[in-house]
Amino acid sequence: MDATAAVSEKAGRGMTVQVLSTKAEQAILSSFEANAAKLPGGAAVAALRQAAMGAFASKGLPSRRVEDFKYTDLKANVKDVLPLATGGAAVDAATAFGAHFGPEFAANAVVFADGRGVAAAGGATLLASVLGQSPGWVEAALSDTALSASADLLLNTALFTDGAVIDISAGAEVADPIVLVASAKDNAMTALRHVIRVGAGAKVTIVEVDRARQGVGLRQSSALTQMVVGDGAEVVHIKVVETNKGSLHLGHWQVNLGANVTYKPFQVTVGEGLVRNGLNVLFNGQHSTFDYGAASVVHGTGHADSTLIVDHKVPHCTSRELFKTVLDDQARAVFQGRVIVRPDAQKTDGKQMAQALMLSPDAEFDSKPELEIYADDVVCGHGSTVAEIDPDLVFYCTSRGIPTAVARALLIESFIGEAIDKVEHEGLRQALSGIARDSLTA
Amino acid sequence: MLEIKNLNVKLADEDKVILKGLSLTVPKGEVHAIMGPNGSGKSTLAYVLAGRDGYEVTDGDILWNGDSILEMEPDERAAKGVFLAFQYPMEIPGVAGLTFLRTATNAVRKKREQAEMTTPEFMKFVKEKAAKLNIDYEMLKRPVNVGFSGGEKKRSEILQMAMLEPTLCVLDETDSGLDIDALKIVSDGVNALRGPDRAMLVITHYQRLLNHIVPDKVHVLADGRIQKTGGKELALELEKSGYAEFTGKAA
Repeated sequence: MDATAAVSEKAGRGMTVQVLSTKAEQAILSSFEANAAKLPGGAAVAALRQAAMGAFASKGLPSRRVEDFKYTDLKANVKDVLPLATGGAAVDAATAFGAHFGPEFAANAVVFADGRGVAAAGGATLLASVLGQSPGWVEAALSDTALSASADLLLNTALFTDGAVIDISAGAEVADPIVLVASAKDNAMTALRHVIRVGAGAKVTIVEVDRARQGVGLRQSSALTQMVVGDGAEVVHIKVVETNKGSLHLGHWQVNLGANVTYKPFQVTVGEGLVRNGLNVLFNGQHSTFDYGAASVVHGTGHADSTLIVDHKVPHCTSRELFKTVLDDQARAVFQGRVIVRPDAQKTDGKQMAQALMLSPDAEFDSKPELEIYADDVVCGHGSTVAEIDPDLVFYCTSRGIPTAVARALLIESFIGEAIDKVEHEGLRQALSGIARDSLTA
Repeated sequence: MLEIKNLNVKLADEDKVILKGLSLTVPKGEVHAIMGPNGSGKSTLAYVLAGRDGYEVTDGDILWNGDSILEMEPDERAAKGVFLAFQYPMEIPGVAGLTFLRTATNAVRKKREQAEMTTPEFMKFVKEKAAKLNIDYEMLKRPVNVGFSGGEKKRSEILQMAMLEPTLCVLDETDSGLDIDALKIVSDGVNALRGPDRAMLVITHYQRLLNHIVPDKVHVLADGRIQKTGGKELALELEKSGYAEFTGKAA
């Protein structure tokens, strides 16, 4: 470790500024300095990036002493930083998707190859091209102060090379899912920023896919999605992260819900890499529903962290969370679910369930529900279970002629399937099931 | 033919001995009933026949059609024709009944070197069998046994039995939890499977079931071994006198 002060002029004794002490932190700063001039955006965006990197420099990568990263110590676990990809050879959608998404999804897909969108499609434009034309709402969104609290988000603001801008007009019903696929060459870092606005009464399904399995090399990716959902809109929001050993994914969704909204996020994480999926949801309007599901299958020394903060600021809203994970080998999953019910948020109905199926005695599941309830007329509950495959159920299956290995696979699939069944779109549900199933037999 | 010879069984992780030299023969085409008081070892016998973990056979053997099945895994026994209808059928959340039935049916057919069923063949087969047992086809789309009533679970067991076409059927307290109507449906389902190539072992605590599934022989199991064997009239005697004669305790 090198204790050189990266922001030396501020690193005086007694100040709150912390030195960037790790090799990875210094590499991030160097990468920013080397690439800053070619990152998209005008002077205002450049200033925003500079400020974000400055704030990152003062925080450093979060260690376990930062409560939200208690089980996912990025300072200790991120040892090297890969070179930032700022564009590369185009990749077709089918290759970027992998085997499980049918060809029907390709028509409406935006592929990001090595950090740059190949072409706009399906109602999505590319952030890098939009920034030059500067529609006010996009740049305003980028500077949302809610995103300056955490170092992993600051990194994205400093480094993003592109992303999708999706603006669904009021009342629009988008029939086919809009799919954003990130693909990159091996041994590269990518940072994408998606900015989404869904108009009142609109209906849309948005899918984000991040894959690090196409090669044997490593991949580091940051993906930050900001979404504002207008009154009465219905949004299905799906994320798939496939990682390999040694790879890193830092994902975050920042979502603001209006009134009478139905927002259904679903996140699938598979593989052996280090994954952090943050999701912050704010209820700004009454009678809205947040219906979250997650399915993760982790093996090897994989580590998958899902950290949710659901903020009930207004009355009469409903939140549902169902998190399921299958853990093998020395894999570790983290579920942190904070539900804040503000004093005015009467009649809040919040339920949370986190379940792990352990296939190995060396796997670990850290489940941390946090209910902060300041209103007195609410219904809130949470549960968490950790179990092994029930030997009685295996016996029941084998007594019907099903071989033990098939019986176990059937029971594991059924466990994870209970979560995936929340996805109503059949093609998507099949794709997600296929990804989970492949990972179970990996 | 089922031949159980001097079977001695203890719990694998305790010293408790449950079966103490049980011997029994059920020829093909016959239905034998095993009756006995609680704790006599009836369910243990059923589980040991099906190959459940947790029991240790310390002596004796179980032969099915001349071959010992003791070293076989439960799925191999099923392929050889052994079927246990559970006293408490298990619920499998997340696995649709049809998926379960199809996986089991084709696994068994594959091991018996029969062609696996195509989807249309399977659907036709399952619909036909389900209708006979008064099972609503829609119910089979739901997870196995989840939310089923006691009667529905038992009918679901008999449907599995009909699908897998076993040659040795072991029914463990199939009458428990059944009302009169359900008992009739389940018994009719079992009787429909009686045939010259099939042996059945019907384990029950009460004589009631045997009015519907009339046995060729009745065995009294108490204290880990067969204490008495007789015809179907033995069940009626037991109904009057109880098991006191075999347990050494007043009923």
